[in-house]
Amino acid sequence: MAKILVVADIKNDALKDSTTELLSKAGSIGAETAVVAIGSNIEALISGLVNAGSDTQYVADDPALAIFSAGPYASCVADAAKQFEADQIWFSFSESGKAAAPRVAVQLEAACATEITDVAISGEHVEVTRPAIANKVMQRVRINAGQMVVVVRAGAFEAAEGITGTENVVTLSPPAVDVKAVVKELISDASGEIDLADADIVISVGRGVKDQTGVDLVKELAHDLKAGFGSSRAMVDGGFMAHNKQVGQTGKIVAPSLYMAIGISGAIQHLAGMNGSKVILAVNKDPEAPIFNVADYGIVGDLFEVVPILRAEIKKIRA
Amino acid sequence: MKILTTVKKVVDVELTIRVQAGAIVEDGLQYVINAWDENAVEAAVQLKENNNAETTLVSIGGGDNTDMIRKCYAMGIEKGIHVEDPALEKADSPVFARVLKKVFEKGDYDLVITGKQAQDTDSGQTGIMLAEYLGLPCVSNVIDIQVLDDQHIKVSRLGDAGTEIIELELPAVVTVTDSINEPRLPQMRGIMMAKKKPIDVMDLSALGISIDDADGAAAPTSEIVEFMASKTREAGQKFEGDAAQITAQVVSLLVDEANVL
Ligand SMILES: Cc1cc2nc3c(=O)[nH]c(=O)nc-3n(C[C@H](O)[C@H](O)[C@H](O)COP(=O)(O)OP(=O)(O)OC[C@H]3O[C@@H](n4cnc5c(N)ncnc54)[C@H](O)[C@@H]3O)c2cc1C
Ligand SMILES: Nc1ncnc2c1ncn2[C@@H]1O[C@H](COP(=O)(O)O)[C@@H](O)[C@H]1O
Repeated sequence: MAKILVVADIKNDALKDSTTELLSKAGSIGAETAVVAIGSNIEALISGLVNAGSDTQYVADDPALAIFSAGPYASCVADAAKQFEADQIWFSFSESGKAAAPRVAVQLEAACATEITDVAISGEHVEVTRPAIANKVMQRVRINAGQMVVVVRAGAFEAAEGITGTENVVTLSPPAVDVKAVVKELISDASGEIDLADADIVISVGRGVKDQTGVDLVKELAHDLKAGFGSSRAMVDGGFMAHNKQVGQTGKIVAPSLYMAIGISGAIQHLAGMNGSKVILAVNKDPEAPIFNVADYGIVGDLFEVVPILRAEIKKIRA
Repeated sequence: MKILTTVKKVVDVELTIRVQAGAIVEDGLQYVINAWDENAVEAAVQLKENNNAETTLVSIGGGDNTDMIRKCYAMGIEKGIHVEDPALEKADSPVFARVLKKVFEKGDYDLVITGKQAQDTDSGQTGIMLAEYLGLPCVSNVIDIQVLDDQHIKVSRLGDAGTEIIELELPAVVTVTDSINEPRLPQMRGIMMAKKKPIDVMDLSALGISIDDADGAAAPTSEIVEFMASKTREAGQKFEGDAAQITAQVVSLLVDEANVL
């Protein structure tokens, strides 16, 4: 039986759904599972780690781990992997995971694959599936090593119903701090806003909204729908939207039930971040805009005219 | 300060890419510098201009990549190394990282700047692995680099919780993302000068790597068995005409047909 260690995805002191999704998938392929949780003051998360479906919980809880630092984070994962004798180590799709996975792979002399969407056993080999070339192709990749570290792409796996785990907590000793890469400060993202990764509806603005007035117009719609509010790179570069709102290949990968692209042309790098969405609605005044090639519903029109109508119509049906 | 910048020649992602019988159809493809490596080159050139850094680039594989290296020269890079060897045909990120390690050890570099990922692999591993093999500090997804003194730089990184400000002791490795800068367009003068500059071409044995050596290029731990076409989304229904009417229509479809509102 394969042993799979899942790295808990913790953000703002909460356990993200992706942890359950990864553990569900690991369970569904018949693996023995463990989870490793890294942070400071995370005792309260332990029951969540169990309920997410893990058989063993490795916990590194130390004030020095309050702010992410890739070196110590990777050491904790490698430590847990060794103790558990894991065959596979799975990270959720996050900046922390992307920074730590290659380190853990080198430390364990394991193979490494990022942005995977599936794992399968084929004969003696483990194989993974992943998109490449800005999502233009898929690759089937054979792993030629006894151990494997992967980063799972957002939205790849689903949480199973009615899963349970067993509590078996193992405390990890705190890792050495990285004296050669000292985290001096964390400039936190605005809190209280809906995390794009969690939102059931995501509404993004592009260069078509032009300026702050346009941004605010669409933001009201997002507010009405309790939707995550994202952006193309153009509006981030323009200084209208924060970096952490960028959807796309260098930003967030999102897969909500509904994605609305407002005044976004649909460049390949943007599509790579959202074309896994269940339903896509695009509003663009250019009928030839490439976004319409992926949109389930396309409204050709001026967004300054369309968005207020959209708000009013949605209010009507929700009333 | 001596900087080593890594650049890879990759397939142009803006063009159509077709897959047939498990392989990418070569016909009609074009190859360009990896976009994020252009950001790495720009970052290095800015450090040359502002902090008197010396700049060297290295590119592994890619066949004839003279044009790409000359483009980087024209942007301001001073020296270029091209490692080319048939044994690298199936190389994956860890293999490239181990070859880069040898390149690093041959020079006396203080800072390596790589792109955050290569557009052909979308893997995002090579720079981080290079640092790990060398035992050097590393920060990935960097959007700003400031030189503090001969031994230290300060970088900003986009992390999960916000922007992390990190002080790094040199030598170090950073991987940069596209919001760090806007790569310059080479000017005529630079282009003319770039034509005369030599490129240091070498194979693995010249680097001191034997193919069978596990520390060298041997045995990729991941191997692409086949390429498949991506699931492409179908274009759905597109509505043109009176804004009020088509918008109301789309909203009711989102409710009744798509069940997402
Ligand atoms: C290495 C690399 C990485 C990148 N990563 C990302 C990424 O992660 N995310 C990302 O988004 N981009 C990314 N990009 C940039 C990407 O290539 C595009 O430049 C960007 O997505 C364009 O943003 P946009 O669609 O908002 O702007 P534009 O392409 O300028 O499109 C604006 C659209 O608005 C429409 N419009 C204008 N006025 C109106 C109106 N009044 N009503 C309705 N429609 C209107 C126009 O018809 C047009 O289609 C990356 C690029 C590179 C090279
Ligand atoms: N063959 C190569 N030659 C030079 N640099 C490379 C090569 N492969 C990867 N790199 C560097 O490593 C980065 C990450 O690559 P990857 O791990 O493939 O996503 C790229 O942006 C390059 O800067």
